[in-house]
Amino acid sequence: MTSSISLRWPTRRGLPPLPFVVGIAALLAALSFSARVVELDLGKLAHSFVQLFVFAGNFFVTPDWAYLPDLFARMAETVGMALLATTIALFASVPLAVLAARNATPNIFVYRVARDFLSVVRALPELVWALVFVSAVGLGPLPGVMALSVVTIGFMGKLFAESIEVVDRKAVEGVKVVGARWFQLRIFAMLPQAMPDLIGTTMYIIDHNIRAAAILGIVGAGGIGFDMIESMHLFRFARLILITASIYVLVSLLDHISPWLREKVI
Amino acid sequence: MPPKEQGASLIPKKPQSRLWLWVALYFGLLWWIAVRLDITFENLLTSYPDLIEYLSRYGHPDFSDLHKYLGLMGQTIALALWGTFLAFIAALILAPFAARNLSPSKWCYRTSREILNFMRAMPDLVLTILFVAALGLGPLPGVLALGVHTAGFLGKFFSESMERVEPGIYEGLASTGAGFMQVVAFGGWPSVLREVAGQTLYIFDRNVRMASVLGLVGAGGIGMALHVSLQLFEYRQASALILVILATLIALDYASGWLRRKIA
Repeated sequence: MTSSISLRWPTRRGLPPLPFVVGIAALLAALSFSARVVELDLGKLAHSFVQLFVFAGNFFVTPDWAYLPDLFARMAETVGMALLATTIALFASVPLAVLAARNATPNIFVYRVARDFLSVVRALPELVWALVFVSAVGLGPLPGVMALSVVTIGFMGKLFAESIEVVDRKAVEGVKVVGARWFQLRIFAMLPQAMPDLIGTTMYIIDHNIRAAAILGIVGAGGIGFDMIESMHLFRFARLILITASIYVLVSLLDHISPWLREKVI
Repeated sequence: MPPKEQGASLIPKKPQSRLWLWVALYFGLLWWIAVRLDITFENLLTSYPDLIEYLSRYGHPDFSDLHKYLGLMGQTIALALWGTFLAFIAALILAPFAARNLSPSKWCYRTSREILNFMRAMPDLVLTILFVAALGLGPLPGVLALGVHTAGFLGKFFSESMERVEPGIYEGLASTGAGFMQVVAFGGWPSVLREVAGQTLYIFDRNVRMASVLGLVGAGGIGMALHVSLQLFEYRQASALILVILATLIALDYASGWLRRKIA
């Protein structure tokens, strides 16, 4: 923020600011160069819209209502996977966050190792982990829960560490004065202060994980995504329309429920 | 302890909390979920040596095809770039209508908000599956899916930024006789330019991460190669691919964070 790029327009010369022009030019060059890489041109793009409309015609079928009980079971499985993974990650990430918070870590070396570990674990998308775990333990919800837990540890650990870093130092010193040891200081002075933040973060993560769990099934890791990819391969549009609609409803519900719940709890 | 009558009455009663009950109920629920999902942790613990042996197969990444992997990563980034570009264009058009203080009518505002909500609510992988079925394998369905899904995000971000602009700026322009288009072009966009650049970078960052897994459902990029190598049990190639993805994502994270700090 010290050396912010100037974007003010008009400039003294009356021309658009240089960073702006350079940025736009670089962007256009990158776009035109990469258009060939992604096999994109206007004719193809326009044609694809026609194809999409033709494809959408497939969805005008009577939904397969007999499939509804299975669908509900799958949706419950999806939410269950997310809850389980979030809770596992919660237990793993609180100790890690203490090690990765600058004011709570035992020493700078542990701090760096914990930080780097969290960012490496966080960097890969859930689906890559899911792919690895599916080929390790086989199909089913277990690899999904494992993949979600791993990525969630990375995110929660980082967010928790940041909440611990901003706790009030005076309260910590107050507890120290009465003779609290290293461990007691962290349990009784730092974590209670960070608690509202921790709860807020956890709720945000649960929301995120339910969305992620809905697609993990694509690689065979349980949840509704598994049924979706299967119905797609078998061209069962009567089921597909129900699955797509239920994912849409689930995500829209989360959009409305989670802000409400956050306000209620915190 | 001997009860001290007058002392005890001065101490307020400890507030009763049902928190423990809720925690217990929650863990009961989790236990039930684990049973229903057939997740047994004894199983996981006994298979722990197998898991270690399995993970050790990733220990020796095979970088002999590195130029191919880098090419695929380049395609992945190009996919994300075009997806972000399409989303940006769509958001550029929709955002002014979805900003409460700019939208020409209440009806316009509600409709464009609902369109953005719908786009956001369809996960991009779900869209990719549908688009791959409609358009065939290749990067194009991935580009379109990313475009549609993130247009919902960008439209929401842009319109919220435009709602935060001081009303005086719009009123000043309107008082000179500017119409809707002119207020948007000369008041709205210039005021939110910095925020818009930051938000678009953030979405680009997210799209690269997403594009690297879109290949799993046949939408090009490095994810497809990863999927194939795991299906063929080529763990050394898979680990090289994972390392390429990891390095790119971490580098991009730093680069976009730096650029966003510069712009903001």
